[in-house]
Amino acid sequence: MSDIPPKVTIKPAQKKRVSGASFIWIIPLMALVVAFGVAWQSYNARGPVIVVNFADGAGIAAGETKLKYRDIVVGEVEEVSFSEGLAQVEAHIRLKKNIAPYVDASSVFWIVQPEVTAQGVSGLSTVLSGVYIEGSWDREIGDTATTFRGSDVAPLIKPGDGGLQIAFRTTSNGTLTDNAPIMFRGIQVGQIGRAQIARSGAFAITEGLIYEQHRHLINSSTRFWDTSGFSFSVGPSGAEIDFSSLATLLGGGITFDTFVSGGDDARDGEVFEVHPDKETARNSLFTVSEVEPLQMSVIFDENVSGLAVGAPVELNGFRIGSVDSLSGIVDFNQFGDSRVRLNVTVSIQPARLGLPGDVSADAALRLLQDRVANGLRARLASVSLLTGGLKVELLEVEDAPEARLVANGIDLPIMPTTKSETSGADAAATVEGVFTRINNLPIEELLNSAINAMNSADSLMSNADLQETPGDVRALLSDLSGIVTSDDVKNIPVALNATLTRVEALVAELEQQRIAETLGKTLTAASEAADAVTSSVAGVPELVEDIQTVAAKAADLEFDKLIEELTSLTSSAEALVSSPDTAQLPVALKGALDQLNATLRELREGGAVANVNQTLASARNAADSIAVSARDLPQMIDRLNAVFVQAGRTIEGYNKGDQLSRSAEGALRDIQQAAKALEKLARTIERNPNSLLLGR
Amino acid sequence: MEFTGIPQKTVTAREAGLVACTRCNRAWPLGTDVCRRCGKTLVSRDVFSLQKVWALWLVGLMCYVPANMYPMLRTQQLFTVDESTIIGGAVDLAHYGAFGIAAVILVASVVIPLGKFWAIAFLAVSVRSKGTFASGKRLLMYEIVEYIGRWSMIDIFVVAILSALVQLQGLASITPGPAAFFFALSVIFTMLSAQAFDPRMIWDAQSEDDKAFENV
Repeated sequence: MSDIPPKVTIKPAQKKRVSGASFIWIIPLMALVVAFGVAWQSYNARGPVIVVNFADGAGIAAGETKLKYRDIVVGEVEEVSFSEGLAQVEAHIRLKKNIAPYVDASSVFWIVQPEVTAQGVSGLSTVLSGVYIEGSWDREIGDTATTFRGSDVAPLIKPGDGGLQIAFRTTSNGTLTDNAPIMFRGIQVGQIGRAQIARSGAFAITEGLIYEQHRHLINSSTRFWDTSGFSFSVGPSGAEIDFSSLATLLGGGITFDTFVSGGDDARDGEVFEVHPDKETARNSLFTVSEVEPLQMSVIFDENVSGLAVGAPVELNGFRIGSVDSLSGIVDFNQFGDSRVRLNVTVSIQPARLGLPGDVSADAALRLLQDRVANGLRARLASVSLLTGGLKVELLEVEDAPEARLVANGIDLPIMPTTKSETSGADAAATVEGVFTRINNLPIEELLNSAINAMNSADSLMSNADLQETPGDVRALLSDLSGIVTSDDVKNIPVALNATLTRVEALVAELEQQRIAETLGKTLTAASEAADAVTSSVAGVPELVEDIQTVAAKAADLEFDKLIEELTSLTSSAEALVSSPDTAQLPVALKGALDQLNATLRELREGGAVANVNQTLASARNAADSIAVSARDLPQMIDRLNAVFVQAGRTIEGYNKGDQLSRSAEGALRDIQQAAKALEKLARTIERNPNSLLLGR
Repeated sequence: MEFTGIPQKTVTAREAGLVACTRCNRAWPLGTDVCRRCGKTLVSRDVFSLQKVWALWLVGLMCYVPANMYPMLRTQQLFTVDESTIIGGAVDLAHYGAFGIAAVILVASVVIPLGKFWAIAFLAVSVRSKGTFASGKRLLMYEIVEYIGRWSMIDIFVVAILSALVQLQGLASITPGPAAFFFALSVIFTMLSAQAFDPRMIWDAQSEDDKAFENV
């Protein structure tokens, strides 16, 4: 380090210093220029901020939610805040600069969010991406505005869109469905917007849009009607269900037709009435070309039962309008008490008043105001005594208290009233009473009973058993007639007569026998002899043998013995005769005994011995006869008894006349059964003749 | 040389009549214009060094501002787009409990760049003024700044790798935000600024100190 080099002067290159320094400082200068340039450019490119007020946020987020115009992003929400008093949500939207001038006072904004309706699904893309704000404005630069009122739903009529913008009004009972399509020949040619109830409450009104390309379909003769729902009708051609399309069935819809030619072109803002159905729409064409009706309110104090919506409003008997609605009204300030009055809204068709010049609701109102000042009043009158219906009648009343028809443009003008036509109402009440009474008749119960009876008869008739009954009865009758006409039955009275005759004879004979009892007593011996015979029927043959033996001995023995033996024999015979059974002996036996008695008498009177043999022979014959008779005796007695019992019953039956029918019924039943049995037997025999022979 | 903290008497190359080539380190006598070995222009002191340092430092700082204001990453997942700045992302990570990663990001993207700005500015100021800071420590600081400079690009690498990897069309994608560009520029200008600094000036300052010392 001892060798120190000489000092060297440093030569700063002045020129180089300046150029080098300026060169390097260019870089930060450029950076600055670029930074400022970018800053200015971005500031310059920024559009203005507009504020859109919404009822609620509905998913709007600062820095995310875009403003779109025809689905192209033209702005972004920078800030979401509340307006003063928290009434609204304010979305501060930064617009694109080139779009901003077009966003003028006529612009509309709405939030697009997913929506599922009967007409379809919309805004599906926003399910994932979140809602956005859609704006619509026309293509002309108008008055600038920075604050707008946004809607939650898309407006029907967007600024700048073409199309015929008309309004729809329902009839007094009609309905309208929000956003329902307007169909024509199955093609949607327009749409109606959100329906609103008119201030008076009598009808609904909505705006409607007919798309530009279908504009020519509408003219002033066009009539619209409601196609929502379906109609069901049963006619000669069968049942019919009619609905225009599934969409209108669910979501409602209206359609139209131009029934006649020659209408003027429809203008924007024209009001069309939506009729309930096609027929009404067609008919409305042929009534007087109607204009906007004049609506008035009529307030009645009295009972208005019978007044209905659609009831006529007449002026001097000519119908000028109809009742639109009925409602109650309580207004202490107006009437001075809190009674419920009936508020009848009527609509009067100015076209029917024959107004000169301008035919409009206003002109009609002026006319009526003038008339009311001259005493025109409204009252209720009955339409028909039978139906009890009421109408509103306008008529001029003399000396009417002063009243005016005031129209303040907000509430409906109120038509002053006068006392109603009460007599008609009374008559109506009377007629009504008659109808009430008729109504109260138990016609339904009567009909029900009749129906029940018919049903019972029907089921009885259709019963198989009953259907067989006539056949059975016929068979029974034929059987019965067969029985009745049979000889046996015919002979019954004859046989009965014969029997009775015989019984009479027998009884007479028995009486005679009792008279001849004295004679009988003489034959005691013979009776006792015959006693043995009575002991038993079986003993009769022995008796006969004894008699034979006696007869044989009589031929040999002495006469006194013979008489003795004969006496015992006759006493036995006597006993036989006096026995209860013998008392009913047939004539043959009696005859034989008589003969025997006579023979014995001859013998006792000491008749010729020569007659004895004959007598004995006769006695033997008689004994034989007795034996034969005695053998048949029990059977005969039985038969006789049976006959008597039968006869007794028969007689008894005839005596009890009141029971005859029942007995006859029983008899008929028995006969029927017997006939049936016989029939069965006959059939069986027919089928199997052998059964008769074989007993099976 | 040892870092004693006490200024020592040193002899610079210029005082020795020499000029060293900054590229090949060959020493030449003063007055030699061009290194005859490697052909580089020889200067004993870069007279514009400080100007360059300050100019580039300024640009680096300018770029650092938008780098922190604009989003660094633009993460698109299905339908949500998430943009996060450097500090915002670190704060988010810290919210999710990833304090380690948040700390790494904060250190790599905020602390180090800011430290570099401060260090370069300090060095540039210290060679002018009569500082008390030891020349050896200043050199160490310079070397650290030079060494660390390239690692500041780690943020840009992460963004580049993520953007390249996560590109599932529609489902998820990551794209670099504008901050990435500015951050890269900032790092580049800071590195250039650091390189523009001629460390030989550190010793010039000390030799001036020495002269002052001698004069005393």
